[in-house]
Amino acid sequence: MIDAPNMIEQLKSGDEKTIRRIYEDHKNGFLLFASRYALDKEELIDIYQDAVIALIENAKKGKIDELKSSLTTYLFGIGKFMIFQRLKKKNKTIPSDELEHFELEYDDYSEDEINIQLILLRESLKKLGEQCLKVLTLFYYEEKKLDEIQTLLGYSNKDVLKSQKSRCLKQLKDFTKK
Amino acid sequence: MENETLLHKYFEQQLSDEEKVLFTSLLQNDAAFAKEVEYQKNVKKAITLNEREALKQKLKSYEAKPKFRTAYWYSAAVVILFLGGITWFQLQRTSPEKLYQEYYQSYPNVVAPTVRGDNERNLKSDAFYEYDSGNYEKSLTLFSKIYADEGVDYALFYKAMSLLELERHEEAIASFDQFKTADNNAFSPFVKWYKALSYLKLNEKEKAVLLLQELAKEENPQQFKAKELLDVLK
Repeated sequence: MIDAPNMIEQLKSGDEKTIRRIYEDHKNGFLLFASRYALDKEELIDIYQDAVIALIENAKKGKIDELKSSLTTYLFGIGKFMIFQRLKKKNKTIPSDELEHFELEYDDYSEDEINIQLILLRESLKKLGEQCLKVLTLFYYEEKKLDEIQTLLGYSNKDVLKSQKSRCLKQLKDFTKK
Repeated sequence: MENETLLHKYFEQQLSDEEKVLFTSLLQNDAAFAKEVEYQKNVKKAITLNEREALKQKLKSYEAKPKFRTAYWYSAAVVILFLGGITWFQLQRTSPEKLYQEYYQSYPNVVAPTVRGDNERNLKSDAFYEYDSGNYEKSLTLFSKIYADEGVDYALFYKAMSLLELERHEEAIASFDQFKTADNNAFSPFVKWYKALSYLKLNEKEKAVLLLQELAKEENPQQFKAKELLDVLK
């Protein structure tokens, strides 16, 4: 069993070794567990990767700080949830006795991938300066509060951070217009 | 309150009930505000999708085959290990105790992943919580109780798994025997597999082989493992 609190801290900091270890340590177990569903191996690997991504994202958002189970169990839970979503999309039946009430706080934006404004924004983000990207990522992706970001990035007061953030948003808007 | 502060609080999920009302009314009546909310929501999505894509690329790279140079060194190492190890392995491979240790792996909790807070605690989630935490004495008691009350398969299976973890193999086999092997449910291949391992541990090789042969015969999640273990046992 992996040592959850420590692992979660390392996931939050985006530690590469930890990510790789989690990924490789659980892959075979997951494939074994998932082999009973009607999906081929490549698709299962794809789902497994998405599950690991969701795990990292929720760790960064602080959503699993109070995790009551092992990380392994949580990861498998996400994977199972995603398998069911995939089966549903393909109109395949899901074994009804297995539909446990597993709650996953995770927005599936896959429908949005074709939204034109979003495509422009995603490109523009790549042109943004490092500091701007950091501020926006902490706020919108990691869902940190402004107070936390102020401490993390060492801003002297919240107003400086706020005006920095709105400058970044404006810059992004200008990029998108071009 | 300034609109900007309201927006920050919205994304921080810190709006009070009053502020939520204000927020909704602005959304309906102030077109510029609504547009800004929409824009920032898109920024959130765009950053999220970029982050996910970057991570996905990273994970995919773990799947890539090693480059030639590395592959070369790997094969060289494998050959050396193979030649060196084969003699030792020949001596060790038939020891059932060793095989048990090599093949035994805890079976994960795949029935009731417990994720959110404490609000839905019940016997089942408690049992899995103890199992996940490695408190097998406790999980044994709880799963036994669930099985006595409800007669459900998963409780019997995890009761047996708790016994295995506690190294009480005879009792584990007795629990596995309670499964109706004719029924093919999701647990059946694992019941056979762990029962076979228990027999190995108890040095009853013939009984283990019989179960493994059943597993090797038809398609199931443990088929390959069973074949592999059978080859070693021969």
